[in-house]
Amino acid sequence: MPDLGELVRAAVEASQVDEAVEAYAEESRQTEASALRGEVEGLEFAESRGVGVRVIRDGRLGYAYAADPSVDEVRATVGRARENAALTEPDEFNVLPAAEPASAIPELFREDSADVTTEAKVRMALDLERRLVTSDPRVTKVDFAQIGDVTSRVAIASTAGVDAEYARTDAFVVAVTLAVDGDETQTGFSYRIARGLDELGLDDVADEAIERAVRMLGATKPPTARVPVVLDRFAAMDFLGVLASALNAENVLKGRSLFAEMVGDRVGSELFTLVDDGTILDGPGAAPFDGEGVPSGRTELFTGGTLNGFLHDTYTAARMGGGQRSTGNGKRGSYKGSPGVGTSNFYLDNGTTPFDELLRDAEGGVLIADVSGVHSGANPISGEFSVGATGLRIEGGALGEPLREMTIASTLPEMLAGITGVGDDLRFFSSVGTPSVLIGEMTLAGV
Amino acid sequence: MLDRALVDEVLTAARRRGGAFAEVFVEETTGTSIRLDDGKVEELTTGLDRGAGVRVTQGTSYGYAFSNRLDRDALLEAAQAASAALREGEAGSVVDLRTLEGPLTNAVERPASDVPAADKVAWLRALDDAARGFSPEVVQVVGVYGDSLQQRLIATSDGRWVEEDRPRIRLVAQVVAKRDDNIQTGFHGPAACSGVEFIDANTPHDTALVAAGRAVTMLDSVPAPAGEMPVVLAPGMGGVLFHEAVGHPLEADAIDKEASVYRGLIGTKCASELIHGVDDATITNGWGSFSFDDEGTPAQRTVLFTDGVLQAYLYDRLRAEKDGVDSTGNGRRQSYASPPVVRMTNTNILNGASDPAEVLADTANGVYVTALGGGQVNPATGDFVFGVSEGHLIEHGEATTPVRGANLIGRAIEVMSAVDAVADDFDTWEGVCGKDGQSAPVGSGSPTLRISRITVGGTGA
Repeated sequence: MPDLGELVRAAVEASQVDEAVEAYAEESRQTEASALRGEVEGLEFAESRGVGVRVIRDGRLGYAYAADPSVDEVRATVGRARENAALTEPDEFNVLPAAEPASAIPELFREDSADVTTEAKVRMALDLERRLVTSDPRVTKVDFAQIGDVTSRVAIASTAGVDAEYARTDAFVVAVTLAVDGDETQTGFSYRIARGLDELGLDDVADEAIERAVRMLGATKPPTARVPVVLDRFAAMDFLGVLASALNAENVLKGRSLFAEMVGDRVGSELFTLVDDGTILDGPGAAPFDGEGVPSGRTELFTGGTLNGFLHDTYTAARMGGGQRSTGNGKRGSYKGSPGVGTSNFYLDNGTTPFDELLRDAEGGVLIADVSGVHSGANPISGEFSVGATGLRIEGGALGEPLREMTIASTLPEMLAGITGVGDDLRFFSSVGTPSVLIGEMTLAGV
Repeated sequence: MLDRALVDEVLTAARRRGGAFAEVFVEETTGTSIRLDDGKVEELTTGLDRGAGVRVTQGTSYGYAFSNRLDRDALLEAAQAASAALREGEAGSVVDLRTLEGPLTNAVERPASDVPAADKVAWLRALDDAARGFSPEVVQVVGVYGDSLQQRLIATSDGRWVEEDRPRIRLVAQVVAKRDDNIQTGFHGPAACSGVEFIDANTPHDTALVAAGRAVTMLDSVPAPAGEMPVVLAPGMGGVLFHEAVGHPLEADAIDKEASVYRGLIGTKCASELIHGVDDATITNGWGSFSFDDEGTPAQRTVLFTDGVLQAYLYDRLRAEKDGVDSTGNGRRQSYASPPVVRMTNTNILNGASDPAEVLADTANGVYVTALGGGQVNPATGDFVFGVSEGHLIEHGEATTPVRGANLIGRAIEVMSAVDAVADDFDTWEGVCGKDGQSAPVGSGSPTLRISRITVGGTGA
């Protein structure tokens, strides 16, 4: 089997004069183990490999990919991408980035990950499930208990001189519990992504998934009111996803972002500082370079509530002009697609207020523990959103009765401007990180 | 795609520790996708994907492994890995593989692969022109065309040999309209398991106008009201809600895990007597249709509700065997890279007897929902939420001012029991459903229907 570097270089060698060619190859080995009722529910092994090729000719872009290709098939894939390029329209900003040296991040690859046997992974899943169903009498069943790990390699080469590779390991855990009291069932979830299975903190994940289900038992629907709201870290993460879309320079350039004309404006509260940083190891989104081979960087999108700019890949930077450079955010879902703007470690900067103090400041309000329907109920173009939520009443500076079947609705600018407290508890559960956030007042619809 | 002797050998290897059955799923998929954005056909992608997955099961436990390579060594290695999930046991046998023939659900007149890519590019140009021509307030258009052909082979140790080609085609228009600072969007994305004759019936022009109409209409919108009120759902939209809020909790994996509000309710009335619901994979050229599911079970039509009484759950092989019933043909997977999960096909609320105009006229005040943006349900609690992408106020029996920022929130059984009118103007809506990290094309459909009371979340008075 040819190695990845060989495949991507073969694509570059197959380029013709007057065209730019870039090939991106990835391979991964993934194991997932889930447990149910004390037994293995599922054990999955995935080995995949593929190459995607971008050809730019006279400003026209074509893309083609193939799963597990031979060197000859890679050459054929370049040919297909070339044919596809002939049918698209020229765009002067379709360019490949010049080669720039990227600093290696050796910590991304845990050599010892390979030492964990399948049996050990199965045992971890079984232990996780046992802890989930034996720690609280009201939680005797799980909906889902899974751990997994992935080892992957990426190689990229282009006619612009890019020729780079790196390897990484990732591990993840997901736990969803069912808490039962009489006829009522509530669910609680937790998850983590880290670089090795031993960094997941499985006990914390289990305890969180239990607590989040149990505390919802007896939930009722609250009356409609405007109240202070504390977004817990899982709920705040979902909103950051909507912000990421509105801060994507492609959406800005194409008239699909409410922030398009707001650079330099004070949009959010002074407590609101939002960062994307592909170089820090706090979150799992770090990488030496992005999906185009551009070195990862740090971009402060909002500082003290003021919008500084957007996340860019090579295309959007060229089109934005004014000396804008790619921020190293040309991301790929897989080899099956060309790069587009995406986040790396995307986080709301840590604040200084302890969680308990946020609760005291939100007396009579609600802690939102979970939001649903964000992908459909939030509009990154208009900034309006209306999402379903569950949570807990805040009474006497503490968490009180559980609440369900409510919605919160506002606009992104209104919500960002309304931030009156940011917790000191920033944490990356995935590549999106946030502390708890207090918003002075929001409409909460129930009965 | 593979010869029978090799498949037989792989199945035998997969059964080295026994288990209930072993299965090989082989796929080769080719496809084209074209994206127009910002007035330009900016990208054309063609792909070739292939691979094979091997599954071994024991009760509701399974092992699964896949490979991109289809050679003997790679397949035997996958079989070995998958069988590692089972406890040590005696090797199982493999029954002679017999080809199963099913009715051709998704016939194709003109295969997409016979049409030059330049013609497909021209469809997107026409879509862009039509959307921009609709109104000067249309400021941005995204058009996406996609087709694929998935060739599948499923073989099982209990003797199934099923080959089926699945053609898919979809056209999507996403339109942004702007008036001063007010920006609104509209979406329309018809789809089918069909050849390009589908485009004759769902032209780029018409698709563009539906999406543009939605975006421009929403420019006149006011913030949606908040609170409980009657809601009338336009044709197709009730099906989206039925899929999400009712269909998912009826999937047998949720039932098995005791994570469904419908557990133990077969034969019980748990919806309005006006509700007749089915999951139907046999609809000709339907977006969620097929001849066989991804476990080789023939497609079927499963009646879920009759007069509001729950009739059945949706089953794959694993849960069906556990419950001692037949699979309903709802074992589906995204690709060879994933094991099957229980999931819906085309999920519909059938026509009732009311006149749609009268349903609206009989509603004094409330919200008329003409497009839903998608939703989410917690099957264990039945709590669901839906974003309303196009809706109108109902005032004195008439749909009036458009509303924005609305969502619908409720509990499945309560809301389905609160349906007090079902009309006779059935229509469909094609979507992509996500579950367990896999996505699959699903159809849903319904006539106009009214929910007497449901919570609307919004920012208005």
